[in-house]
Amino acid sequence: MPRFLHTADWQIGRQYARFETEDATALAEARFAAVERLAEVATAEAVDAVLVAGDLFDAQTLGDRTLHRTFQAMSGYTGPWLMLPGNHDAALAESIWHRARRIGAIPPNAHLLSEPEPLELESAGSVILPAPLTQRQTPQDLTAWLDTANTADDRLRIGLAHGSVEGQLPEALDATNAIATNPIAADRAATARLDYLALGDWHGLKQIDARTWYSGTPEPDRFKDNGAGQALCVDIDRPGAAPRVTPIAIGRHAWHQWQRHLTVASDLDALLAELDALPAMSVLDLTLTGELDLAGRERLDRALGAAAGRHRSLQTHRDALALTPTADDIAALHADGYVGNVIHELQQRQTQGDPDADTARHALGLLAGLLRDQPGQEGQP
Amino acid sequence: MKLTRLRLEQFQQFRTPLEITHLDPGLNLFVGPNESGKSTLVRAIRAAFFERHQTNSVAHLKPWDDSAAAPTVALAFDWQGRHWTLDKRFLHQPRCDLQADGEAYTGSAADDRLARLLGYEFPGRGASKAEHRGIPGLLWVEQGAVQNMRDPVDHAREHLQTALGQALEEGVAEKEAEEQGADNANADNPGADNSGTDNISSALGNALGHVASTTGDALIARVEKARGKLLTPTGKTTGDYRQAEQDCARLAEELDTLDRQVDAYRDQVDRLGELQRQRREIDAHRPWQAQQQRADDTRRQLDAVHARQQDQHREQREHDACRRQQTLYRQQLQDLDHQARQLEQRRADTRQAQQHLDQRKAGDDAIRQRLQRARADYRHAERALDAARRHAHRRTLEAEQQNLADQATRLNDALADARRLAATLDELTREHQAQHLDPDALRRLQHIEAERDKLAIQQQAIATRLAYRLEDGRQLTLNDQPLSGQGEQELLAAAELRIPGVGQLTVTPGGGDVADLARRQQRHTAERDALLQQLGVASLTDADTRAARADDLDRRRQRERAQLKGLAPRGLDALAGEHRRIEQRREQLSQELSQELSQEQPQERSQELTNTETEKELQSDAAPLDEDAARAALATADERLKAAEHADIAHREALSLAGQALATAEAEWQRQHDALQAPGRRQRHDDAQNALTDLQARADALADSLARRQREIDAADPDGLAQDLARYTRAAEALQRQADTRQHEIHELHIRLETQGAQGLEEQRDAARQQHRDRQRRRDELQRRARALELLLQLLKEQRQAVTRRLQAPLQRHLDHYLKRLFPGAELSVDAHLQPQTLIRPGASRAERDDLEALSYGAREQMGLISRLAYADLLRQAGRPTLIILDDALVHCDRARREQMKRILFDAARRHQILLFTCHPEHWHDLGAAPRELPALKLAPAPEGADPRAT
Repeated sequence: MPRFLHTADWQIGRQYARFETEDATALAEARFAAVERLAEVATAEAVDAVLVAGDLFDAQTLGDRTLHRTFQAMSGYTGPWLMLPGNHDAALAESIWHRARRIGAIPPNAHLLSEPEPLELESAGSVILPAPLTQRQTPQDLTAWLDTANTADDRLRIGLAHGSVEGQLPEALDATNAIATNPIAADRAATARLDYLALGDWHGLKQIDARTWYSGTPEPDRFKDNGAGQALCVDIDRPGAAPRVTPIAIGRHAWHQWQRHLTVASDLDALLAELDALPAMSVLDLTLTGELDLAGRERLDRALGAAAGRHRSLQTHRDALALTPTADDIAALHADGYVGNVIHELQQRQTQGDPDADTARHALGLLAGLLRDQPGQEGQP
Repeated sequence: MKLTRLRLEQFQQFRTPLEITHLDPGLNLFVGPNESGKSTLVRAIRAAFFERHQTNSVAHLKPWDDSAAAPTVALAFDWQGRHWTLDKRFLHQPRCDLQADGEAYTGSAADDRLARLLGYEFPGRGASKAEHRGIPGLLWVEQGAVQNMRDPVDHAREHLQTALGQALEEGVAEKEAEEQGADNANADNPGADNSGTDNISSALGNALGHVASTTGDALIARVEKARGKLLTPTGKTTGDYRQAEQDCARLAEELDTLDRQVDAYRDQVDRLGELQRQRREIDAHRPWQAQQQRADDTRRQLDAVHARQQDQHREQREHDACRRQQTLYRQQLQDLDHQARQLEQRRADTRQAQQHLDQRKAGDDAIRQRLQRARADYRHAERALDAARRHAHRRTLEAEQQNLADQATRLNDALADARRLAATLDELTREHQAQHLDPDALRRLQHIEAERDKLAIQQQAIATRLAYRLEDGRQLTLNDQPLSGQGEQELLAAAELRIPGVGQLTVTPGGGDVADLARRQQRHTAERDALLQQLGVASLTDADTRAARADDLDRRRQRERAQLKGLAPRGLDALAGEHRRIEQRREQLSQELSQELSQEQPQERSQELTNTETEKELQSDAAPLDEDAARAALATADERLKAAEHADIAHREALSLAGQALATAEAEWQRQHDALQAPGRRQRHDDAQNALTDLQARADALADSLARRQREIDAADPDGLAQDLARYTRAAEALQRQADTRQHEIHELHIRLETQGAQGLEEQRDAARQQHRDRQRRRDELQRRARALELLLQLLKEQRQAVTRRLQAPLQRHLDHYLKRLFPGAELSVDAHLQPQTLIRPGASRAERDDLEALSYGAREQMGLISRLAYADLLRQAGRPTLIILDDALVHCDRARREQMKRILFDAARRHQILLFTCHPEHWHDLGAAPRELPALKLAPAPEGADPRAT
């Protein structure tokens, strides 16, 4: 009974400039780890082949070390790896594949499907029908040829393609990949009599029809809750039979993007509880709005400090979070005399929609810090 | 606080007690010269307050020669409606008693109460120092210290600030009361704002003690320090911030470079893809081969046309040759015709030459005659010239002869005259010699005679006179000469007077002179006689006559000689010689002339004989020509002759040429004639005619052929074919080259891309982007911090300034009160430490700002006093005691300013008691206070009630 592991969009070599260097490096590393886990899973599940539906690599020119590491990470599975060039690693006149072959990084069990021609997979009783990208973008449906590809009746017809299924995906799925480029007909599995069509390009897990699936990327790389971080185990009993598709979790870091509004003290409490509940090693992007007094600010700072240690990455945006010291705050700081006036002024500037509101908030924070750290504020002459 | 009474005892120079009573509550003026005790008085007041009674450090207060003295000060003052008395004794049995209505302190308690009352401190031990003196230290000004403000204000600041705080609080309270009133009046004014104001006001109130001190200032310093790490004072970035900015810029640049490299790489990959497609789609079909085939076809066609063109060329050449031959034959025929025509011409030429020669010969005689005539004329002219020359010569000789004759006559006359003159001269010379006297002898004679006359006169002068008057008839003899009648005799020598009948008297004149004179007379006479004899004259008169005669002769002789000199300057003989020479020359000329004449005659005669023909002509103008005219005539004749000769020569040449021409013409004719008569000429003519006909036929045939073939060639269009050939060939080459180039480029691109691919460009680029974002984040963070610090600093400073201004306002008010009297419109700024700082005066164009330190001494003094008065007002307002003591203040004021200062002092004295000590009473007589004279006070005995001012 043929069994495949369907994956795509490894995007090896992707860097995450929006994160701190340390986090970005770890996130890039995580992608190799995902490949290693795929190999483990493939071996564990004893699949007949691993289908990689494009975009193994994020770019055409990567360092030799990255290439070696990628194929090294695949070494955990010795069965055939069937690799389709996607839009990021298209089979151009000179491509990452040429390079990989030139440096001898590609192991014998890894097969690059760079030509639109059938590949007999004897062991699985299947014929693989790939639709490789030979350009970064193409307006034609490259899977069209599958309709006319003839195969023996006792063979499974497995399609492998990379692109957007027409009319099925939300817009702007990839910033670099506008709609109507690399299109794939929604009924291709039917028209080409495919037993399974393994798709790549969409980073979330998505089923198009009974036989057509996007596996998504094995390691999430966006703040989108769309099932990224999995691979698909596909079982097909015989030609014509409906495939059984099982998602398997692969990814390591969960990506979360939160927007929270703070007005009363309980809002802060809720946020802190939520932070505590988040699984470790997550990637969190937190935007805060509303207002906070000095004491609340201190609590928040402490909690965020702790969370930053617990998670892979924690980014907070507090531009819209005003700092509003209470009279008690001011008293506690011994900010009397004109210093008190300054605090009042800074507070005013934050709340009146001043273009310098952010600067004022920051200044207020600094002032509070300075006053709190003031040496011997009481007995000083 | 008002002092009312002051008493000293055993205090420096006040050994005996001194008491001053009835002090004025306002101005008190103490005057006295130096050393009169003013300063002692001030010192006593200071000691009474500043020094603890039991201190040992006041030994200097004792009178200098009284070691056992116990300086004592007693004073009384009113304060807040109560009357206080202070009694203080130092050194010996020190004590201190302070009493007020119902209050009494002794010892240290009294000291402390006093200090608290006036606002000063005591030192821990030892004498009081400036920093302890607080308010009195500021208001009690020592001699020459009015302008020093800084330290006294520092020492009194705490008291001043407290006073200010009170003033401000009162002010705020007033303001709040007003606002509240307004709120009540205007109900729709929302109260929300009010709470904030209250808050600030109260905070401000609390902060008053700190405001100008360290809390806020330290905060500002820390903010400034933090800002300084990021920004320079001028707002430029520095430190980490600057580094981050630079890193960002650098990384952005790197990123940009990498981006471009990636783009370039992508472009190259695309190019490679395109080239590969082209190779696959174009070059694989070898399209250049078709072009080559077409080129070959065209070349074959072109070759055929070329062969035809060569035929055409050959035939054309043949046709051309035909034409040339035709021309030659035609020429030949023409030549033959021409020969016949030429014979006629030759004949005509010969005739013409003959005619020409004949004409020349006809002119022959005329030419020859003209020549002969010209020759004759020439000869005649020659002769005429000769005659003219000879004639002229004769004329010259004749003229000379005449001249010589005249000269001879003249010389002859002159010679005769000269001879006569010479004879006369000889005569005169002889006569002159006869009459001539030796002039020396003559002069000697004249001299001697004069001497003699002189001597005679002398003799007479010294002669003894013998006067006598004899009676008639009586006679005497003197020296044997009778004397009678009356007369007088001069006796020069001894004389014998014989008186008849009486005897003889010998009279001898006295003295030797008579004898001497007589002797000299004798000598002179002798000499005269000798001279006369020598000269051969009888007397001097005679000699003079002779001399005059000689002179006359001499003059005549000279006249004659001059005349002779005029006639014969070189002497008579020379004159005679000249005459002789002239005569000789005359003789010679006569001979020459006669010879000339004799020569002329025969020559003329011979000419007459030889040329009779021209005789007439000669005769006709026999008058001898003048030489120049003759020469001109000869020249003319010469020219005529030359012209005639030339004409003759030309004629001969022409004749010869004509002859030659005739001969040539005849020879030509003969030759031509012979040629025409030569055999075979007819045959040649006919042959040529036939050949010409044949050639014409051949040429026509060739022209037809040529035209036909040319049409064929044109139809084939060889140029077009050649162009086609080139085009096809080039197209083939281009296609092949393109394929080669493509192949080459593909190869190159492969190599290049392989190399570049090895660099992992995009990975590098992503890494750079990561780094860049990292630095950007850092920079943004620092930028936010810098901006926040900047804002914070700005606000802190603004607020601090605002608060400071509010704090100082009361002080400023008091200052202005005084200042306006001194400098209308001026302003004296006060700094945060309550120190007066800058004087701002309205100037002509803009305000003048002067730091206090920079003002003149006098102005600083005035500012010092004004400031003190303002502080006093402030303190008084705050309920603090004020007493102002000025020891010799304002000594540097000019009159006008002092006038103003007096007004100011008078005004201040309405609120404060002022003790003013001076040694210049004349400056202060119009202060409005009765001066107390120190010396008088000192002399006053028992102080009690002795004050004349007591009322």
